[in-house]
Amino acid sequence: MELLKVEDIHTYYGSIHALQGISLRVMEGEIVTLIGSNGAGKTTTLNTISGILKPRKGAVYFQGERIDPLRPHQIVAKGVCQSPEGRKIFTRLTVQENLEMGAFIRTDSEGIRQDLDRVYQLFPRLRERRRQVAGTLSGGEQQMLAIGRALMSRPKLLLLDEPSMGLAPVLVETIFDIISDINRQGNPILLVEQNALMAFLIAHRGYVIQSGRIVLEDSVENLQENEMVRKLYLGEEIET
Amino acid sequence: MIPSFEILIDQLINGLTIGGIYALIALGYTLVYGILFMINFAHGEIYMFGSFAGFFVLVQLTRSGFAQQHVYLSILAAFVGAILVSSTLGVLLERIAYRPLRKAPRLAALISAIGASIFLQNVMMLIVKARMQVYPDIFPEDWIEIGSVSISTFQIFIILGSVLMMAGLYFFIKRTKTGKAMRAVAEDKDTAALMGINVDRIIVTTFAVGSALAAVAGVMVGMYYTQINHMMGFIPGIKAFTAAVLGGIGNVVGAMVGGYALGLFEAYGVFILPAQYKDVIAFSLLVLILIFRPRGILGEVVSERA
Repeated sequence: MELLKVEDIHTYYGSIHALQGISLRVMEGEIVTLIGSNGAGKTTTLNTISGILKPRKGAVYFQGERIDPLRPHQIVAKGVCQSPEGRKIFTRLTVQENLEMGAFIRTDSEGIRQDLDRVYQLFPRLRERRRQVAGTLSGGEQQMLAIGRALMSRPKLLLLDEPSMGLAPVLVETIFDIISDINRQGNPILLVEQNALMAFLIAHRGYVIQSGRIVLEDSVENLQENEMVRKLYLGEEIET
Repeated sequence: MIPSFEILIDQLINGLTIGGIYALIALGYTLVYGILFMINFAHGEIYMFGSFAGFFVLVQLTRSGFAQQHVYLSILAAFVGAILVSSTLGVLLERIAYRPLRKAPRLAALISAIGASIFLQNVMMLIVKARMQVYPDIFPEDWIEIGSVSISTFQIFIILGSVLMMAGLYFFIKRTKTGKAMRAVAEDKDTAALMGINVDRIIVTTFAVGSALAAVAGVMVGMYYTQINHMMGFIPGIKAFTAAVLGGIGNVVGAMVGGYALGLFEAYGVFILPAQYKDVIAFSLLVLILIFRPRGILGEVVSERA
């Protein structure tokens, strides 16, 4: 079943035409990845889905309902939750308070407590530091917190923006294992990544974005075979 | 001349009384700054409106004879009325004067705030005319003698009342869901919205809470000094702003510390300068902080906010 449908969206920053007609879909149960280089429009796409940015043209549908005119907190209430890039955690709140903010829209205190437990099981480090101010966490721990926080809203669709950014390779693997686990528990995910190599390991389908346009869309198997993808997105990874 | 022990204690009590009032008003500046990074220069007028709302409630209750029979209930009614009026005013101010300018350069909101301040002063002048109004004197004031020091029950009421309000605010911000959301919004509005927090509603709540504290201060001042007029918000407004800057603008505990520090500075300043120079202390202090420690006593590094 189709969960998210992004239809030909055009988003501007002032007069800069950042997204020039992006269309993509996420089906129930899928991990879909959106790969592209810096500045291609990946985060802009997610922020348009989340309602932080408004498309000047085009539409976003979630479960068949148009959501692009809604305000960000209303979109979260529909079940679309983004874990923003750059580990945008609340540095002056404690670890636990950050997780509570993730569950802001929920009122089932029993369920929140269970999910808190689930996040602490996924990331035992966070449990140890739950009373600590989040700004004192290491980069990897902050990324764990950002993902844990996104899980706390029990999203129907999780949008992950660059979960590998700035992490040591061993941590990247841990985080991607966890993302894969989350998906196997039935959560569909739209994963934005610069690290195509890792994204292809766990995703089912992928889109390639260049200068605000989708230039390629296929199953991960086919994308991995694609010459342009190998050269532009996987080649870089092998060389460095 | 070395002041006697009794006078030192007297001035301590005076300093804590006026300091608590400064702190209550300063919190409104700092709460709004923490979230919107703007100085709400009409905050002094919100305080003034609160004082007048309490005044009108007490005048009505005194005329009807209710206040003479139910003193404490009447005082409570004055505070409740003041809180309702000031909070409503704060919310309207945000909606009309600040929200349309939220994405405009900061100077625009500042000018809008100064305009709102002048507007509100004139509104009150039209309502009550430009003369002093006398607060109904219904609070039973006693003097408690402790050794050779005497304290007015009124001062005790103000000191305890302001501490209680601040403790309540601190609990609200630290422990409640809305309070935590306020801190999240203060740090990063977009990310807070991505958590499902209605950012506009949190901003409105912040204005309402800050205005309510100013209203309490307004009624306390009216009952303490007994005379109020439409200009009464100006000097305390700037002094409370000084207190907020002194403590570190944007920092809630800083505003409390700054309020008491300023109150005590003024109280003990009379030993150094003649009493009529009291206001000089506050404003010299403001200049000195801005030159030497712009982030205040407890403030964070300002560049983080850039």
